[in-house]
Parts: sequence; structure tokens; C-alpha cells
Amino acid sequence: MVTYDSGANHPETPQPGSRNGFLSRYLFSTNHKAIGLNYLWLALFSVFLGVAMSLLMRIHLVWPGVQLPFLSALADSQQRFATLATLHGSLMVFLVLTAAPQAGFGNYFLPLQIGAREMAFPRLNLLSFWATVASLFGMTAAFLIAPQSGITLWMVSVALFCAASLATALNFTVTTIDLRCKGMSLPRLPITVWAWFINAILGMLIFSILMAACLCLLSDRFLGTQFFSTVNFLSRQPANIAANVLPVLWQRLFWFFAQAEVYIAMLPCFGLTTHLISTFSRRPVWKERLVVLALCGVGVFGFCVWGEHMFSSGMNPFSPLVFSVLASSLGLPASILLLSWLGTLWNARIQLNTSMLFALGFVSLFLAGGISGIFLARHDLAAAAVSDEFVTGHFHLVMGVAATFAILGALFFWFPKMFGRRLNEPLGKLHFWLTFVGVYCVFMPMHWLGLVSHTNIYSSARLAAIATMLGPVRTFITVATLLTVFAQVLFLVNFLWSLFGGEKVETCNPWRATTLEWSVGSPPPADDFGVKDPVVYRGAYEFSVPDVIEDFVPQYVAPEEVAKSR
Amino acid sequence: MPGTTATPEIEIVIEDIGGGAPPAPPSGGGDDGGDDGDGGEGRGKWSPPPKRYSTAIAIGLVSILMFFMALASAFIVLRAGSDKWIVVHLPRILWVNTCILLGSSFTLELARRRLSLADSAGFRKLWLVTTILGFLFVAGQLFAWRLLVAQGVYIASNQASSFFFIFTGAHAVHLLGGVAALLFVLLRNFEKASISLPAAAEITSYYWHFMDGLWVFLLALLYLGK
Repeated sequence: MVTYDSGANHPETPQPGSRNGFLSRYLFSTNHKAIGLNYLWLALFSVFLGVAMSLLMRIHLVWPGVQLPFLSALADSQQRFATLATLHGSLMVFLVLTAAPQAGFGNYFLPLQIGAREMAFPRLNLLSFWATVASLFGMTAAFLIAPQSGITLWMVSVALFCAASLATALNFTVTTIDLRCKGMSLPRLPITVWAWFINAILGMLIFSILMAACLCLLSDRFLGTQFFSTVNFLSRQPANIAANVLPVLWQRLFWFFAQAEVYIAMLPCFGLTTHLISTFSRRPVWKERLVVLALCGVGVFGFCVWGEHMFSSGMNPFSPLVFSVLASSLGLPASILLLSWLGTLWNARIQLNTSMLFALGFVSLFLAGGISGIFLARHDLAAAAVSDEFVTGHFHLVMGVAATFAILGALFFWFPKMFGRRLNEPLGKLHFWLTFVGVYCVFMPMHWLGLVSHTNIYSSARLAAIATMLGPVRTFITVATLLTVFAQVLFLVNFLWSLFGGEKVETCNPWRATTLEWSVGSPPPADDFGVKDPVVYRGAYEFSVPDVIEDFVPQYVAPEEVAKSR
Repeated sequence: MPGTTATPEIEIVIEDIGGGAPPAPPSGGGDDGGDDGDGGEGRGKWSPPPKRYSTAIAIGLVSILMFFMALASAFIVLRAGSDKWIVVHLPRILWVNTCILLGSSFTLELARRRLSLADSAGFRKLWLVTTILGFLFVAGQLFAWRLLVAQGVYIASNQASSFFFIFTGAHAVHLLGGVAALLFVLLRNFEKASISLPAAAEITSYYWHFMDGLWVFLLALLYLGK
């Protein structure tokens, strides 16, 4: 059959004169693919570390008497519990949700998709990767040392992470602006690239603000200044919270950073999902221009909404109403994205492979989490709810789990390109269904728990009746967590086995996708595009094109060749 | 007490790297001409276009601006919310420093004009003057700190003094990044570099003028914030 594929897959052959040591080839390589992969490995390591911590927490919550390896050894369990939650959150938010979709997949595929052979500043890129690794060590070590100095170390690590993210964001922005290949005009950019680009700009703004906050916080701790005066803060808190300041301080600090991170983590996931849904529905992205505008909208609102958390935690000096309105209006771009996904799926010949399943799972979770988010945008409710189970459920559904689904979808999609082998499909589907059902069982009851504990419309007798049910529900959540976590073993097995023994990819373009990365071998050679510079002839989503040999036209195929294949 | 301010400076240096502050030089300081890294194994002579430097500095400046705006808004909010704000009397030498900095922007532009007239010696002389003025400014700021400390005003004395030291310190560190760029342009052999001398000079000038304007803004903020 005639295809656009330039032929068989030519795996990379090592160049005779090149440096082949493990360190210079992988760990200290400035090649964007090596750095992208390193971020993904880092995220994989962090995600399992973070999951282990959430297991510890759930077990401790339901069976406090059980001897746990970490917690029991430490005397003041309550304080440890708070720091454990912060550490779990930091690892997941910073090193998994922020690093994997943006720095991981972005570093690997942004240059490939725009036809660049490198990032704009490769060495800066390597530097920011190692700064990220250092911040992982710092954050983890912060948990193991005494709480007071632990907080300081944690903040230094976060500052370091912010600096690394700033450098990465700068690299992404400049690369997208200046390094696009011939023919790759802005309207022809794949939605993934748009998402990475907008996210990088958002990152440049948000991380500098976080940097300033870190400076003030650290100056408070080291130099005795009072930018964030504890006295002022405590005077505004209820008495029961003021009694145990330290755990609260940890929590507040975490939310301070996490709120800004939500949008940073979600934006690339929107891009990935849009891309996957279009490719596997064999349909162009529905209302592509509008989707790009919606992504910009998420960026703009995400930047403003940052103040939302301020009133959640009671530190806000401004009118909560402003932020509340902004938080609600985030629904507009989100609805546009949702409509576009549904419009793309409508009447399409959907290829329901694992990658697509995870993309659809993302849509489902985003919808479920988004609806509870509307409640949270009401400022009267938000004040009561921070750090309770309603917020935990909402936050995990919409950010943690949804983003993870997008990451997994992208991994199943790009695995053949990165490693030249496919992940196992039946195993992947089993993993998907177990995880999908599992996360709903874990986080949906949490919403209910959160609502019940804040209700005041019931009589005390009914409240007492409800209180007896809380225990079993919590146990149910913990059991569901255990099962969901064990389902991840399937993924780990699939991943490791496919890495070495998976089905080999015979062509450059196994998914029959349109973007530039599918024009090169799997895995791509060191210089990405070989001798000839790539040229782009059309938009990124030419699916279901009539009168061509296959139902799609890739960006990199010249019009003459398309005519020949008719 | 200058010793106590070491930590925020380190933090800002880290931010500097992130914000793309050392402007003209490609990251890494360029020991093999440009930032092509070792990704070039087996590849031809492909290297990213030089205009990436000016794009990077433009975006980096926006990022640095956000950093100072965040500090400035904290200043305004805390100033407005406080009922017993203790005023810091700005040392007179700050006005001298400001004149020095404005003068350095002027000499920098004169130097660039020399460069466009292909007067290399004149360029280097004026560029050196700019660099020296930059050092003088930083020295002047340090002297202002000494004056305040002599009066018993420390960084932790009150919120106003905290802001004074944080603003001047953060600005000085960013400005030192600019001085480093000036020295880089002065000392670098541009024959081997991936960026030309006029381009490097131009990018440095953007950063330098920005630091100049930023200082005027911060000074106005501190002055009016009394």
C-alpha cells in the first residue's frame, strides 16, 4: 500500500566518533530528547514515592494503631502527618504534574513537532533539569529532618524548583517563537505546542511571583523580617487552629504554591488530550482556532485566579468577590474545550485504544471535578472548605488524577516514538479500567464526606446517625486506594516489559498521525531530522480528508506527493 | 550589617538564572562559542538562530518585571494596611547613585553609536566607562546600606526598612548581572562566538536600560511610600 511514510523505521545507529559514555549520553546530555526522558524518569520515580505516601496516610487515617514503617518510628505523629501530606503534595504537584507533561513530553516533542533540532538554550535546559533533581532531594530531605529547619529547607527547594521552571519556561517560549521550521506558521502549530507555549508564558509570570514570595519567606526565616507576620496570621485564625500552628503552616504553605501550580499542570494536559482525541477520532479538532483562544483564556484566568486561594486561606487583603467572579469565569474556556472535544468525537470512527481511553478518562474526570469546582468558586463555601475532604476530593479528581490520565494517554501514544516498541494493549486496557473505576471509588465518597461534615441543616440526632457511617466510608476509601494502587503494578509491569520485549514498531508512523515527529525514525536519530530540514505544508489536523489514499495528510508531505497518492 | 543579606542575594542569583538575567551571554558563558551544547553529535552545522538571544532577553525582562511587581504590590498592600508605619529616611547618596546610573545609560548609548560608526577604540573606551559607572553605583548602594546601619536601621528593624533592603538588594544583584554582561561584551572574542558584537551590545543595552528604569521606579516607590 502506498503511504506517506518514508519507509521502514531506521533505528538510530550510533555515530562512530560520538561520545558514548552513559553519563554524557544520558545524564549530562544537552540533547532535548535525553533531557525530556530524564524528566519522565524523574516523574515516574516521584509518582511511586508519592503514591506510597498516600497509602501510608490512608492506612494511618483508618487504622491508627497499625505499625507503619515511617510514621510509627516518629514520636509526634500528628505533626508528621501534616508534613507527610505536604511532602506527598509537593512530590506529586511539582515533580510529577508539573514536570512530566510540560518539561518531560514538552522537551522531547516540542522541538520535534515544530521542526527544530534543539531547544533554544540546550545547556540552560540541562541546568534546569539538575536543579529540579536537587529540589526533589531537598523536598524529601525536608521531611526527614527536624520540622523547623525542615520548613526552611522545603522553601529553599521550592525556590530552586521555581528557578528551574523559569529557565525551562524561557527555553520553551524562545524555542516556539524563534526555532520553528519553514512553513510552520502559528496557525499550523499543533494544539500540544500551543498548550506548551501558553503554559510557558504563564510559567514565566507565575514562577517569578512565587520567586518573590520565596525571597520574602526566606528573608523572614533567615533575617528576621516580618513580611508574612505570624502574629497577624494567627490573630485571624480560629482558636483551635492557632493551638497547633506548625501543621497548619505546612498546609498553608503548600496551598500557597499549589494553587498557582494547578493551571501550570492542567494546561499541557488540555493540549495533549485535544491532540489524542483528534488523532484517534480521525477528525480535525473541532473549532481549532477557538480551542487555541480557550487555552489562552485558561492561561489568563489561571493567572488571575491565583488570588482565589488567598481568600480560601484567609490571608487575602482584597475583595474576595473579584476573585470569585474570575474563578467562575474560568468555566467559559473550560466549556469551550469540552465542547470541542465532544464536537470532535461526534459521529467519528473512534479508535478505542488505551491512549484514547485515557484521553476520554481525562474528559470524564475533568467534567466530574469541574462541577465540584463551581461550588468551590463560591467564596463563602471556600472559606470553610480548605484542607477538608471536599477540597481534597475535588483537587485530586480534577488535577491529580485527571492530569495523570492525560500523561498516561500521552505515554501510550508516544511510547512507540520514544522507544521503538509499543506498550501492550490488553494489559493497558485492563490497567485503565481498574484505575478508572478505582479513582472514582476513592474520590467521590470524599466529596460526600466533606459536604456532610460542614452541613448544619440536620438535627443533631441525624448528625449522630451520619457520624456512625463516616467510619465505614473512610475504610471503603482506604480499601479502594489500596486496590487502585495495586492496579498500578500492572502499568509498571507493562512499561518495563514493553521497554525491552514489546512489539517492535515497523513504520515511522504507527498511529497514522499528522505531526512532524512521525516523519522521523523511532526512536528519532540524534539530530532529529537528518540532513534535510523539515518543511511544513499544512495545518496539524488534516484527518478525514476525502480522495487521498489514506484518510489523513501529514504536515510534512508536499502537495505533489499528496496528488500522486490520489 | 552586610553579612545578614547574603541569603536573599543567593536566592536572587538563582532567580537571575531563571529569569534569563545575564543577558547577552548565552547561558553557560560560552567557552566554545555559543550554546550548541554537545547535541551536535553526528549532525551538520545546524545551530539555533541568533535572534533567540533578543527574544530571550525580552521575555526574561517581563519575568524580572513580574518579580519586582510582586514585591512592589506587597509593599503597597502592607503599607496601606499598617497603622504604625515607621519611615525610613532615604540617605542622600541615593540621589548621587541615581545620577551615576542614568549617566551610565547615556555613556552606553554613546558607546553603541561609536560601534555603529566602526570606531572600535572609542566603543571600548565608552563601554569601559559604563562598566565602571555600574560598579560605582553598586558601591554607592552598599555605602547607603552602611549609612543606614550606622543609624541603627537594620533589615529586620521594621517593615519599611525590610522593604528598603530587599528592594535595593534585589536590584543590585540584578544590576550585577548587567555588569557581568558588560564585562562579557568587553572581554569576549566575538570571532568565535555565535553572536555578533553589535547584537551582544544591543541586548546588553536593553537589559541595562531596563535596570536603570527599574531603579527609578523603585526609588520613586520608596520615596512616595514614606
